[in-house]
Amino acid sequence: MTRPFPLRWPTRSGLPPLAPVLTAALLGLLLAGTARSVEISVGHMVASIPRMTGFLGKILVMPDWRYLPELGLKLLETLEMTFMATVLAALVSLPLSFLAARNTSPAPAVFHAARGVLSLTRALPEMVWALVFVSALGLGPLPGIMALTFVTIGFMTKFFAEALEVVDARPVDGVAAHGAGWLQVRTFAYLPQAWPDCVGSVMYILDHNLRAATLLGLVGAGGIGYDMIMSMRLFDYNRLVLIAVAVYLMVTLLDRISDRFRARLA
Amino acid sequence: MKTEAASGFPRKPFNPAPVWISAVAAAVWLTTVHLDLSFTQLLYSCHDLAEYFGRYTAPDFTHWSRYLALLGQTLAIAFWGTMLALAGGVLLAPLAARNMTPNRAVYRIARETLNAMRALPDLLLALVFVASLGLGPLPGVLALGLHTTGFLGKFFAECLERVDRGVIEAVQATGASRTQVLMYAGWPSIRREFLGYSLYIGERNVRMAAVLGLVGAGGIGLALDTSLQTFHFSESAALIIVILAPVLAFDNLSTWLREKLT
Repeated sequence: MTRPFPLRWPTRSGLPPLAPVLTAALLGLLLAGTARSVEISVGHMVASIPRMTGFLGKILVMPDWRYLPELGLKLLETLEMTFMATVLAALVSLPLSFLAARNTSPAPAVFHAARGVLSLTRALPEMVWALVFVSALGLGPLPGIMALTFVTIGFMTKFFAEALEVVDARPVDGVAAHGAGWLQVRTFAYLPQAWPDCVGSVMYILDHNLRAATLLGLVGAGGIGYDMIMSMRLFDYNRLVLIAVAVYLMVTLLDRISDRFRARLA
Repeated sequence: MKTEAASGFPRKPFNPAPVWISAVAAAVWLTTVHLDLSFTQLLYSCHDLAEYFGRYTAPDFTHWSRYLALLGQTLAIAFWGTMLALAGGVLLAPLAARNMTPNRAVYRIARETLNAMRALPDLLLALVFVASLGLGPLPGVLALGLHTTGFLGKFFAECLERVDRGVIEAVQATGASRTQVLMYAGWPSIRREFLGYSLYIGERNVRMAAVLGLVGAGGIGLALDTSLQTFHFSESAALIIVILAPVLAFDNLSTWLREKLT
């Protein structure tokens, strides 16, 4: 078969577009340059495949059913930590977001200060804060909840503030024209318009927090993570398989629910 | 109904807010009781907490060259992880997008694969990889890559599904194959979202890479854990600053890039 037109790139000159090629080349160079520091070695990876399959073989054992009630309690604790942290963060974030949104902030200085503080709370992952709070408050779910809340406030306020910033200005003017006060304009004009976005981001954050809460136990901050790492370290595969399946199901379920919920809002 | 006829006004709509608020409040109360939390005690211990955080005020940078090396490794882990996720996401997303997938079976398989990748936490994956590959940054790279492939694949697939049908039909009308439709209608239409989500995942991976060391998967996390457990507060403070700086820098860089490119 003969081609009526020769194959060419969809640019004016027919040459590959410059920007993507340059970006790809740059990224490739960076990858090559950092390969040594992350110890990439295909040989090593291939050599470890038998160990990997061996591990997967070991994990497929009869689950330890007697552990089930305890597992249920731990999962409940994980869920409760997630819920508690999200609610606490929402209580703080809702008022704070009015200071951190460009159009509702009382002064530019307040806006910049709020944004700066928020990016600081977002900067470190939950695990680092959990480490710090565990060493300050001791083991248990409380440091976990505090770490989650702390980081969540940063994200949630940012999302809420972004929702407030894209609000339509006309209803705001309308409410203000009726002589509504500072707080009234914010509760009756800004908030109702931003509400669907806010609920959507709360669902997203709930999802994110559940994932984080399943891991916080690794540093002793409550939840299923502690049992997970202990059964891993003690080669207690009969428990590990149950925990892995339970975490998988719980996270997937919430993921689906939150997707469904957000699709309905949009 | 009688009141509606009498007053001439439509019935007052049902307001679900009180129900929701009381349900959440009840759940909070139950949770507090069940987890045996005492926030009053926390309030009383505010003084202790302040004293505790007071110990972090003198960061000690004597081992700065080691910290910088660890930091470099952390960033490299995040970069490689993100690139792996990008490659995986770009390959899987078209299969998991309803309007680009060859058939329903492939669609379901791709979706479930992405779901599974997202559902397994990256630290758990890192544990598994450390067990089979040994200590070092490589298991961290693989864990981050695998986990975030699930996220990027899902995000890209959702964006591809939102591509205007007209654009796709226009390219199809020229006799383009499925791959050509993807290359000429799919990816170019979602360029902005593509960049935004990749940067978001990059940011996330920088944060996570700082933690992977806890399970022996390389990076700065292990040093922080050790210094906290041995109560070397000045060292911990220095490490927290060392982690904080690049995260904040990358945060600002990606915000700037996004504003510039959109």
